[in-house]
Amino acid sequence: MSDPLKDPDDDWWNSPVNRRESIWLGLAGAWSVGIFAWMAGFTQFGDQNPIGTTYDVDPDRYQERVAEYKEAAEETEDGLVPPGDDVYIGALRFNWDGLPVVLEAGHEYDIHLGAYDVQHGFSVRPEENLNKQINLQVFPGSEWVIPMTFDEPGTYHVVCNEFCGQGHRTMHGRFTVVEG
Amino acid sequence: MSAIASLFRNDYDSDGFRTCSVTGLDVHRSVENHVKLFGLTAVIALAFGGIFAFTVAMTRWEFIGFLDPGSYYTHLSLHAWNLLIFWMVFMEIAILYVGGPMVLGRTLPLRRLATAGWVIMALGAVGVNASILLTEAPNEAPLLTAYVPLPVSPWFYGTAIVFLLGTTIAALPFFATIWLETRGTRRTLPLVAFGAFITGIIAVEAILGGIAAFAYAFAWRIDLIASVDPGIYRQLYWIIGHGSQQINLLAMITVWYFLTHVVGGAVVVSEKISRTAFVFYLFFINLGAAHHLLVDPGVSAGWRIWNTSYAFYGAAFASMIHAFAIPAGIEAGRRRRGQGGGLFGWLTSAPWGNPVFAATVFSIILFGFLGGITGVVMGQMQVNMTWHNTFAAVGHFHATVVLGTTLAFMGLVFFVIKTMFRRDFVSETLAAAVPYAYAGAMSIVTLMMMYAGILYGVPRRTAEVVRNIPGSEFSFAAAIPIFMIFGLFAVVAIASGALFILVSVGSLLFGDRLPGGDDGGLLPEGGLHADGGQPIHAVELRGTFTLCLVFLAVFIAIYVLNWYLVTQLWAIGA
Repeated sequence: MSDPLKDPDDDWWNSPVNRRESIWLGLAGAWSVGIFAWMAGFTQFGDQNPIGTTYDVDPDRYQERVAEYKEAAEETEDGLVPPGDDVYIGALRFNWDGLPVVLEAGHEYDIHLGAYDVQHGFSVRPEENLNKQINLQVFPGSEWVIPMTFDEPGTYHVVCNEFCGQGHRTMHGRFTVVEG
Repeated sequence: MSAIASLFRNDYDSDGFRTCSVTGLDVHRSVENHVKLFGLTAVIALAFGGIFAFTVAMTRWEFIGFLDPGSYYTHLSLHAWNLLIFWMVFMEIAILYVGGPMVLGRTLPLRRLATAGWVIMALGAVGVNASILLTEAPNEAPLLTAYVPLPVSPWFYGTAIVFLLGTTIAALPFFATIWLETRGTRRTLPLVAFGAFITGIIAVEAILGGIAAFAYAFAWRIDLIASVDPGIYRQLYWIIGHGSQQINLLAMITVWYFLTHVVGGAVVVSEKISRTAFVFYLFFINLGAAHHLLVDPGVSAGWRIWNTSYAFYGAAFASMIHAFAIPAGIEAGRRRRGQGGGLFGWLTSAPWGNPVFAATVFSIILFGFLGGITGVVMGQMQVNMTWHNTFAAVGHFHATVVLGTTLAFMGLVFFVIKTMFRRDFVSETLAAAVPYAYAGAMSIVTLMMMYAGILYGVPRRTAEVVRNIPGSEFSFAAAIPIFMIFGLFAVVAIASGALFILVSVGSLLFGDRLPGGDDGGLLPEGGLHADGGQPIHAVELRGTFTLCLVFLAVFIAIYVLNWYLVTQLWAIGA
């Protein structure tokens, strides 16, 4: 009954299990349940969840909406200052329309993400600390609204991390976060 | 030609059978020759894809900066398709034939279908390679994913479908074997055949998803339908995109059970538990593919948590079961024969000079520690935000499919060279060096990929960003030291891969023919079957238990560290 190349004995289901294997089953099972519970729970008590609202939107219509937003925003040397709490960003080959933008630290903004042509990757990190970074997928046909609150002032760089064509690596944008 | 024809010759009896001197299995000519055909094709794909491993790695190592961006994406696509798909899938069909008719001692049914499957698969593989090489603007290189609506050549989608259909046809003789073997009886398949059977079912699920995804994109590219939904394509695509890697995982675990037994003398410590783990995979593992959609718009948090957690952890739990069961099999097998006492004597006294054993054990350890842990950690919805599409994700899948699957399959190729082609290695020393050099160098390469992605935020799928993002003053220059180590060890790893090809092909062409009955030095000390000793459930498995506790501790540490990084971020989402 111990050979993986032969039929097991008739009574293989009822053969006793080694004590340490049983303990391991318990540990592995408890760990699996534990990490599941932590992930599900974090959506309730955590501050970092890729959860927002998605709307279906025609890519051309989304482009118009970003244009209207840009019209209403104030232009400064460091970028656009949004007129309200909403920030519109449109991804296109090979640019982030709507960026750079100037935001206030500690203030919650609704970041609208959409694309005009193909899929892109919205990848953001502060200039001074590269290991604080987030990465979200951006589609044409979807407008994804994700609330964000930048705690610390500084420059945050945005690159595209989904292959969108040969100029993909040049796709760069910026958030400038100032004291609120 | 006669050199190639001689590869397919062995001494069979009048019924076409022979007895394998290592496994003791009754091997039929029809099975063996098809295993060789698919295995050789796989090695050709490995060699071809390996060339592009070099050009791609030397481009990402911007110190060298080998290719311009246009060629880079072409080479990256060829690297991905030949290694992730063609090398693995041709091997997996060979594994199905070993796990089915060979283990059961039968002839290969539907032989013409098997050969036709090979022809169609080969046509599809050549077609995919050609469609990538002949890509012209406005079409872009497909990479592995060919995400719509990025314009990709319709020839690519068409030939990929041909390959998938060929694979389905090639798998039919395996399913026919299982059906013939089990109809009208209450017998249970041997564990290796059972593992192969579950692998086959998962493969069918993945292939159906692949045909659906590529047919949808193909219909759009030839103007049968006016538009495509990127979200729907992604859901369909990832059924095969990750599903194909789940086939690799199951095939690899089946190979682990097979090779630890035949070269390490391992036993099955509990049929019930090992089989239950395979059944967990059957139900859960393909749903886990949803973790690719964790940071996509348009899928609810509930959908993501259900599919990636409940389902995913069913599969992760199964992997943790095998993580105990397989080393425990080696420990129990060796302890019962009195080979090595103490906590780890059974392991230290094992046949480490045998490249088949070394490749298998490194595959088990490195898949678990580097590939498995990172897969579960990055599969958490919030942690995924920090891994998604960074170079760290590339590190994760190199740890699973290169350190895990490729290494196990390399061991299997060495095993097949001796047992089925009946050739001695041209150099035992070089063969023995392959798993050490390859596993060692690739481990460092994958770790550097993970560090570059997680600690420096370097994105994947770029030709250059570390020294220069054109049009920006920003770059990822802080990651340069990581890339220097990455580049150097990538060279060593690729050279070790080339050594594997040289030893394998050299042994087939120039190796001495092993006399009948010679085991080629593969059999474990004391032979395959050791009689006597205590019943398995009573054997002290404290060595394996200790190793598994170390594994769990590392798992917890990496989990906590990743969550710490997540909680340091600014507030995101609802």
